[in-house]
Amino acid sequence: MWNREMAVGMLAACCYLHGGAASADDDRLQVHGFFSQAAAHTDKNNVGGNSDGGWGLDMREMGINVSYRPNADWMLSGQALARWAGSSDEGDPRVDYAFVDHTLSSDEHGRIGVQIGKVKNPYGFYNTTRDVAHTRSGILLPQAVYIDELRNTFLAAPGISINGNHYFQDASLEWAVNFIRPEVDAEALTAFMVSRQPGHFEGQNSWLAQALWEQEGGHWRIGLTLGNVEMTYKAALPFPADLFPGNLALHTGVFSLEHNRETWSLTAEYMLTRQLRDEFIPLLPGNSFDKDSTVEAGYVQGLWRFAPRWQAYARYEALYLDRKDKNGKIFNIQSGGAVPPWQRFSRDKVVGVRYDHNSSWALSAEYHDVDGTAWLPRLDNPAAQMQQRWQMFLLQAAYRF
Amino acid sequence: MRIVHWLGVLLLTCVPVLSAMAVDVIANKDVPVSKLSVANARAIFGMRQVKWPDGTLIRVFVLPDTHALHGALCKERLNLYPYQLRQSWDRLVYSGMAQAPTEVATEAELIAQVAATPGAIGYASRLQNNEKVRVIHVE
Repeated sequence: MWNREMAVGMLAACCYLHGGAASADDDRLQVHGFFSQAAAHTDKNNVGGNSDGGWGLDMREMGINVSYRPNADWMLSGQALARWAGSSDEGDPRVDYAFVDHTLSSDEHGRIGVQIGKVKNPYGFYNTTRDVAHTRSGILLPQAVYIDELRNTFLAAPGISINGNHYFQDASLEWAVNFIRPEVDAEALTAFMVSRQPGHFEGQNSWLAQALWEQEGGHWRIGLTLGNVEMTYKAALPFPADLFPGNLALHTGVFSLEHNRETWSLTAEYMLTRQLRDEFIPLLPGNSFDKDSTVEAGYVQGLWRFAPRWQAYARYEALYLDRKDKNGKIFNIQSGGAVPPWQRFSRDKVVGVRYDHNSSWALSAEYHDVDGTAWLPRLDNPAAQMQQRWQMFLLQAAYRF
Repeated sequence: MRIVHWLGVLLLTCVPVLSAMAVDVIANKDVPVSKLSVANARAIFGMRQVKWPDGTLIRVFVLPDTHALHGALCKERLNLYPYQLRQSWDRLVYSGMAQAPTEVATEAELIAQVAATPGAIGYASRLQNNEKVRVIHVE
């Protein structure tokens, strides 16, 4: 509840400060914001609400951020956000990030700083701005690496970030190490990690780190993200109405590569996440139920700026919730047939087009041809109703300032 | 047909001029540097380096992404494309890591703002430079 009041308070403070700020001469205070509305149509399964045979319109994001730089060594930043995504997210305003940034040292070779508060976590190329439509590489981020149902594990979280930038003759290095307590108390995340249960997860001391190397101004970009996210399961009711209390750890890494030319770009990311859990999910006779498995995923995307204001993209992505059981058959047997094998993988072919009317407005259309349902929101898609092969068409209008 | 032929000749002669617009990086007179490496110029226009050696705040002024002069700054001085700079700004601004540069509509306005704002940096076409601002050499 404090999240909603803080977000409203921040919004009010933004408006007051912005109204009272001096003219363009004093740019120490800045306000930016964004809004996007998408619509999804699927032939089977549900995305963005009830899209099976109809249009799911429950796909919306809006946010406002403020930054204040009283001098060159200090900055205060905060962003409030509301997001709608079917049953996974119902528009509650919350604080996306809010932190104080202090520069510890800075010269012509680089800078090192520290941030304290609710800090943004680096994960792959796109995680830090995943809710801003203009910064995404499509209407949906590649779900293989940026599974929306797991977003809370890597989103902004209370903690401390130590980061730096270094400038070399024809390259630059950007790095960050974050010590955080992820906010993983979300129904959608619980449903994805275990199943719908009365209990919830609680974040424990975790860390995420990233190094990003840009060659020749960004013609080549190479990134490596590593992290260890820990959480505990807090049961709300005694077994069997709920699961036993227990611990879950995610050891994760992402390798990111991009090549940029004037009219085209090629991006690829590869992710491995090992999940380890102790036996808070009760053992079924004769098996250890997904106690230690590794998620493997990746995608390749080509993007072509074929005309001023226009871009077209094509992407292939693959996600396997257990790299040792890529077709999901072992999990299907272990679950006694309750979980269909295609819930354990997804292979997605995506094509899309985007039109930037000006620097504020962008319109996009995207088509997905999917085999598998690994990343589908569990709350909107009960296991028994998930269908293996499905297609989706998306439209989006996005505004930012 | 003759008109098409001469238009073609005219276009061909114009292309070299259009594709290599001379652009200078300019700064306020009180800025304590007269030259920058390409790496530092990228860091400054990329909103990562925020202070001059004497500790004053760097104020970055830019033209719209589609302005020919902005394209010339990116390609000729920073060796990158306007879309890369925009993506870099977006990534920083929408995660609270940096502030956005100040965008103005015309070159004349940019020169005026740079001349009037302590710590300011921007860019202008070589023909329009005047004595109110300092030219910074980027190498």
